[in-house]
Amino acid sequence: MRPLQRKIQPEIMPVSIGKIPEPDSFSLSNGVPVYLIEAGSEEIMRIDFIFKAGLIHEDLSLQASTANMMLLEGTQNYNAVTLNRLIDYYGLYLNLLVEKDRAGVIIFFLNRHIEKVLEICQEVFHRSVFPEDELKVLLNKRLQWYHIDRERVRNLAMDQFFESVFGKDHPYGRQVQLQDFNKISPPLLVEFHSKFYSPENMAIIIAGKIHSDTITLLNKYFGIFPSKATVPMEAGNVIKSEKRKKTFIEKKGAVQTAIRLGSTTISKRHPDYPGMLVLNTILGGYFGSRLMKNIREEKGYTYGISSVVSSFELSGYKIIGTEVGKKYTKKALDEIYKEIMLLQTRHVEFVELKVVKNLMLGEIVRMFDGPFAMAESFKSAWEFGLDNNYYYNLAQKIEIIEPDEIMELAKTYYDIDELYEIIAGSR
Amino acid sequence: MIDFNKLCLNNGLRILVHEDISTPLVALSILYDVGSRDEDPEMTGMAHLFEHLMFGGSANIPEFDKPLQIAGGESNAFTNNDITNYYMTIPSRNIETGFWLESDRMLGLDFSQKNLAIQKNVIIEEFNQRYLNQPYGDVMLKLRPMAYKNHPYRWPTIGKDISHISKVTLNQVSDFFYSHYSPQNAILSITGNIKAKYAFMLAEKWFGSVEKRGIATRDLPEEPTQTEEQILTLEKDVPSDALYKAWHVGRRIDADFYTLDLLTDVLAGGESGRLYNALTREKKIFSDITAYITGDIDPGLLIISGNLMEGIDIEIADEAVIQVVDKLRFSRIPNNEMDKVKNKFEASFVFSNSNILNKAMNLCYFEFLGNAGAMNKEVDLYRSVSPEMVIEVARNYINPSNCSTLFYRSKKKARK
Repeated sequence: MRPLQRKIQPEIMPVSIGKIPEPDSFSLSNGVPVYLIEAGSEEIMRIDFIFKAGLIHEDLSLQASTANMMLLEGTQNYNAVTLNRLIDYYGLYLNLLVEKDRAGVIIFFLNRHIEKVLEICQEVFHRSVFPEDELKVLLNKRLQWYHIDRERVRNLAMDQFFESVFGKDHPYGRQVQLQDFNKISPPLLVEFHSKFYSPENMAIIIAGKIHSDTITLLNKYFGIFPSKATVPMEAGNVIKSEKRKKTFIEKKGAVQTAIRLGSTTISKRHPDYPGMLVLNTILGGYFGSRLMKNIREEKGYTYGISSVVSSFELSGYKIIGTEVGKKYTKKALDEIYKEIMLLQTRHVEFVELKVVKNLMLGEIVRMFDGPFAMAESFKSAWEFGLDNNYYYNLAQKIEIIEPDEIMELAKTYYDIDELYEIIAGSR
Repeated sequence: MIDFNKLCLNNGLRILVHEDISTPLVALSILYDVGSRDEDPEMTGMAHLFEHLMFGGSANIPEFDKPLQIAGGESNAFTNNDITNYYMTIPSRNIETGFWLESDRMLGLDFSQKNLAIQKNVIIEEFNQRYLNQPYGDVMLKLRPMAYKNHPYRWPTIGKDISHISKVTLNQVSDFFYSHYSPQNAILSITGNIKAKYAFMLAEKWFGSVEKRGIATRDLPEEPTQTEEQILTLEKDVPSDALYKAWHVGRRIDADFYTLDLLTDVLAGGESGRLYNALTREKKIFSDITAYITGDIDPGLLIISGNLMEGIDIEIADEAVIQVVDKLRFSRIPNNEMDKVKNKFEASFVFSNSNILNKAMNLCYFEFLGNAGAMNKEVDLYRSVSPEMVIEVARNYINPSNCSTLFYRSKKKARK
């Protein structure tokens, strides 16, 4: 037998993303779109109920998020205690979700409880009552969280980042203020709920070993509510970035400083987006990224640093974020800018690019591993009017992209003068 | 039902394989029987430091991550009081790279002064980020030494004092490695799209030649029985008062683990828990309240913690908690409430085992507890808990003399 070659990596095969099926789609009798992803071997399902009820639709801070969180605090037929007991009794895992553009509920359950799940969800979406007492408890709780959040430099920097980039009057950028907690009342929530948690704003994504009665039951519980004509979003939601690029937020006694750097950028719908994702991964999108290598693994300034490219409905954005030891703030900033400039002036080397390509392809494989991951991935394409073809295009771009194009993208999309620099910490 | 095949190599390494062809990936998990309880009280944080060092290159491979990423894989690790667990997922066609990497870092690490110095710094920043720069971040640094006087559970995984990590030398690092990282002290599990026979062949090929090492004998001091109630008050710069209570309970492998776990679910499993209903919804004393057991190898803790609403006296809040908890000692939990917490456990068990990485980590952990097959009996063990058993454990453990209470007061509030 040949001796073991420990210094040489065993032969590897190209990472292939395989076949990504499109979900089956159909509509309920009232027009609500439904997407079905049949996968997995366990008798379990995940249903996403998605509504156009995100922050972008609120008139007041806290309105969209409170409307969402109050969904489980009482309906016409069940008070809050009973409702939550039922949810736990049937072993349902129910995640409330509020994002900038959308809101809703994701629910995981054992298939045998499907009818109960749909009955409860029908109550939650169509017969919510927003009781005053429960609202008080919830707002008090959120006020506490708010105070705790404001103690963390990362939250201070992140909130300011969105304000600077999207403007203090835009729902993407508006920061919650203390007095907002006094303005939220049951009538405001009822109004928001009836306007946005309605069939014309609803979509359903179902994944798992899908129960054979699913479609019939969905029509029984959700197809019966009439849809109204959709109202286009009110204009006036114009993104207006702040003029000031640099902001420092004082947090007395902080031993670490939070840094957030970034600006608006192209969204997922743009043809350059897949290339941007490759560029972002090289810069700060994985454990061995340039920012991690430099600022954590070579200098030890931080426990972690990352960069992200992401999209909202009206705009994309890119952000680099880290918490560094207070005394390293200036040095870390210099190194971050240096890494961006390096990408603009020097070609990425073959081996590094190869690593990034393969790990990104591996990531796509993971994004479609199992029904729950598939639902998540489909949803994040569907939200932008795309389908799973997006992932084929992405994989293709990853395979063919060359160092030239990466350098061009860095020059086009990482203009250092455009970046907002937000620092939260102690002087 | 998770079926698996098991093999033990001559060097003592145990291997578990579970086939799941519904995925294109394979998960590989390796558990080392070493945690922060195995540390010298004057050199705490070592086990966790090791988790960092294990990614800094090994005997024959200068970098861990890069070859894994080239193969489309992804990995991470965690350390707790009892174990250190490394895990990865990788496209099944490239699984051999996983065996190559994991076996090489079991064989030996590339102990370099530079890597050690950097990782010390990284951990200091981790300590800053998680423990110092967070409101209530240092709670476990205070609560653990109240509850444990002798046993090494008295310090958290990051270490009791970060200066311990700054002082560690390369020799001490290397000693720790050779006295804990060894095939007979590890459990390897492989789950996903792979045939057991092939996985065993690869395990033999890559791990078979790693030699057994002498493992440090574990002689942990026993924790004396607590006989008196303990109360500690801290005043800190936090937005609101918070209450922490810890009672000594048994070990993870004791029969009453399941009863205790369900007991904490009755108290605080989901928004329908008794503490939440009584103290958040009704009396509006706490904004949040949770209860859990630590489930450690050596006798662990039952912990209840909550943040107080503005204007509530912390001693009154404490009384209110005791009132809810004391009820468990005297009155029988209704059947439908028992069913509720059991159903919830069963659902969480099914969800957690619907993914190959969780399955791999669970197999390792149950084998570590004594027998991977016991994993399939968990739901039944929870189902067999009766309301009378809950009363009994409540009476056994939930006594004031067995409790440590931490009043974490807000300085800002005190000033008002």
